[in-house]
Amino acid sequence: MRLLRDLGRRKLRSFLTITGIAIGIMALVVFGSMANKMNALINGGSKYYADKDVVSIGSMFSGNFQPLSLSDVEKIKLVDGVAVATPAIDMLLDDSTTATMGTPEMISGSIAGGDQGLENFKVYAASGRLLTKDDTGNQVVLGSDLARKMNASVGSTVTLRSTQFQVVGILEPTLTAPDKSAMVPLGAAQQLFLKTLPPMLQNAVNVNELATSIIVYPNKGVSPETLKTRLEAALGKSYTVMDGKDFDAMLGSISTIFSLVLTGVAMLSLLVGGLSTINTMAMSVAERTREIGIKRAIGASRWRIRREVVLESAAIGLMAGLIGLAIGAVMTTVFNDLGRPSGNVLFDLTLGTALTAVVFATGLGAVAGFVPAWHASRLDPVTALRYE
Amino acid sequence: MEILEGRNLRKTYKLSRKNTVEALKGVEISIGQGEMVAIMGPSGSGKSTLMHILGLLHAPDPNHGPAPELFLAGQNVAALSDNDRTKLRARRMGFVFQDFNLVPTLTAIENVLLACDYAGIKGGAAKTAALEALGLVGLADRANHKPSELSGGEQQRVAIARALVNKPEIILADEPTGNLDSERSAEVLALLRQFNREHGQTIVLVTHDSEVGEACDRIIRMRDGRIRDHGLQASARALGGQPVAASA
Ligand SMILES: Nc1ncnc2c1ncn2[C@@H]1O[C@H](COP(=O)(O)OP(=O)(O)O)[C@@H](O)[C@H]1O
Ligand SMILES: [Mg+2]
Repeated sequence: MRLLRDLGRRKLRSFLTITGIAIGIMALVVFGSMANKMNALINGGSKYYADKDVVSIGSMFSGNFQPLSLSDVEKIKLVDGVAVATPAIDMLLDDSTTATMGTPEMISGSIAGGDQGLENFKVYAASGRLLTKDDTGNQVVLGSDLARKMNASVGSTVTLRSTQFQVVGILEPTLTAPDKSAMVPLGAAQQLFLKTLPPMLQNAVNVNELATSIIVYPNKGVSPETLKTRLEAALGKSYTVMDGKDFDAMLGSISTIFSLVLTGVAMLSLLVGGLSTINTMAMSVAERTREIGIKRAIGASRWRIRREVVLESAAIGLMAGLIGLAIGAVMTTVFNDLGRPSGNVLFDLTLGTALTAVVFATGLGAVAGFVPAWHASRLDPVTALRYE
Repeated sequence: MEILEGRNLRKTYKLSRKNTVEALKGVEISIGQGEMVAIMGPSGSGKSTLMHILGLLHAPDPNHGPAPELFLAGQNVAALSDNDRTKLRARRMGFVFQDFNLVPTLTAIENVLLACDYAGIKGGAAKTAALEALGLVGLADRANHKPSELSGGEQQRVAIARALVNKPEIILADEPTGNLDSERSAEVLALLRQFNREHGQTIVLVTHDSEVGEACDRIIRMRDGRIRDHGLQASARALGGQPVAASA
């Protein structure tokens, strides 16, 4: 209580200092929440790609696939160490999609059960059901974000690339790619993909043979990396084979950039907030020289004086941390609400991030108090008593 | 029995590298248990400096010649660390200053509680003691007032409550009546005398006011950093006026 009153006495200065730290903490909370979201996405992808090889022509990250054919699947099945090879079609839900934060919205076609139980990245239906072999028409299972954006529920009809699909299931959130995917039977995806090909090519290809990628599960005891080498040897240069390590290498850099930005923001608020807290506390100590003299004279130890100053400084930090967290929480919530209709939910404010921000601010305050506290504790009580 | 005994007490202040002030030039002093002693003398004669040393706020200078000695109830405290001196101040000394020196942001009772806190007395016991101390100085009803809401005389009584809440053996008062009119002065003096009589507290007070001095058991007179006259100790007075120590 006394602490709060002491703070109140120096309202304006404390207010400015608290504002300074609070802004830093707010930035920390916002960027941290974004990093959480990004890391969940990347970790999900990383987990998905960890145990398999994906064969394609061109890169799946550009969304610009050259068609493969099912004969490639047969070729791959002959490679030593392949347990299962199953074709898939991945395409952007909307060609006008520009670069977004996070994963783009995708249509993803596959053969139900094509993995023969080898897929470790499981998805679950929150309502309705997953696709089965009997789904041979225009059925779709929507990812949670996509379902919310399309305002779809089981039984409703949605339009994907001008084609009507019947929603048979909606997935539980995964925090990663499937949340923004529309999963359809391979046949339906092949029809949609055909329409994206140049007219000349459309006549040349057999629609039932189309695929954009082939997912290859290795035999037990064969590592995806080993299999990758064999696949590359068997398929030739025009094919891209990607394993979990490649995925991590590609997206790990994004993760790194985020942690760098985060560290930068933290350092900046450390510097600005720390210096301004040191200044505030130094002035507060100077103003209270006489008071410190009184306390020392009547028996306060140096340690007590130090503790008093550091606690006050930490209280400034704590208050700033809570305010920064509150503003940051409001901002991420508002941004998420604004972005939800367009599927851009970019922030995930976790308990860990919130606690880190507050603890960081409090620690910063306490540390910034050390120097003024030391100074205060070294004052000579008699001299301090005379101070006007 | 002597509660405070000092020998070879010197203090030199350094104003700059060359410029020094010799505030105490070798003082020998002896104060008996339960005495109420006044220290008088012209301004600048070293009264406050002596008080600060007796009150363990400052250590005496380590002399080149004979080492300083300071005994508090028989314990040599001349060379204690800052930390040890602080502990003794908290538990065994009470201070009263000319300009009251209350913490302005704290209420009367909170000011008194500070002293309890530093002496290691907390919680209910501290609260009871603080209220009792404020009651003794007649300010129980002002416990929750800030110093700015109190008159000078009242502030000084709060300071006295703070000084005696831990029932210290010694109360040191540097011109406690210096900022008060004669009526308030008399009140403060009467309070100090009351504690001296009722609780046997030793009181050392610096004063300019010869009336205040006369009200004490003994007057120690200082001049130019030395004690010029030790006065007569009460017991000595009763015995017919033999001085307890030779004049310096
Ligand atoms: N902190 C200090 N620094 C320098 N000189 C001081 C200091 N305190 C006291 N003095 C000097 O020491 C001498 C004695 O001072 P003091 O003990 O305060 O005397 P008194 O209380 O009798 O007026 C004076 O000349 C004073 O100027
Ligand atoms: Mg003086």
